Amino acid sequence: MAFFKITLLRSAIGLPRKSSGVLQALGLRKRMRTVYHPVSPQVAGQIMRVKELVDVSEVEEPLSKPEMRQLRKPDPGFYIESAISR
Amino acid sequence: MFGPFRATNPLSGGLLWKVPWRLSRMQKLRQRERLRAVDNVVATIDRALAKQGETAKAIERWKNEMPAEPEMLPKDKYTIFDRKEKKYRKGIHKLPKWTRLSQRLNPPGF
Repeated sequence: MAFFKITLLRSAIGLPRKSSGVLQALGLRKRMRTVYHPVSPQVAGQIMRVKELVDVSEVEEPLSKPEMRQLRKPDPGFYIESAISR
Repeated sequence: MFGPFRATNPLSGGLLWKVPWRLSRMQKLRQRERLRAVDNVVATIDRALAKQGETAKAIERWKNEMPAEPEMLPKDKYTIFDRKEKKYRKGIHKLPKWTRLSQRLNPPGF
């Protein structure tokens, strides 16, 4: 099943109330928040209302919040050796 | 075009604190990028829906009515119709919230 990956890039401050309402309905409360919604004409219509504010891509599976956090995490640059069992 | 010695309005002309009557080169560049970003969003939604064999009214309407960024005239990208202006055109940056609106069409003939 395909999903829309929607990220809020620009805030709706100062825009008509309708745009902030659509963002609330999509679950976008802060900038850089990413949400996943199944591909459907209803969601497409919602995205069209706020197309100037969001970035959209199509993905196969939605990622959970910890998984998205893991993707953002930089490489620590070291690894811990485990003790050899004797 | 970029770097410390680029020819921007404040660097070549000195003090600039008023809203200029036209967009700077960088503003125009960013305006084009924003137009393309919206085009990309619409194209992505359209592709995703087409895979499922569906379509949305808002998408169809946008594709029928709105020109894409490469199809637009520079005149329509950077200026907007205004009946009170000389020659009926003013910079698009005079439009409130212009960076977050889709203002692409103007009255035919103006």
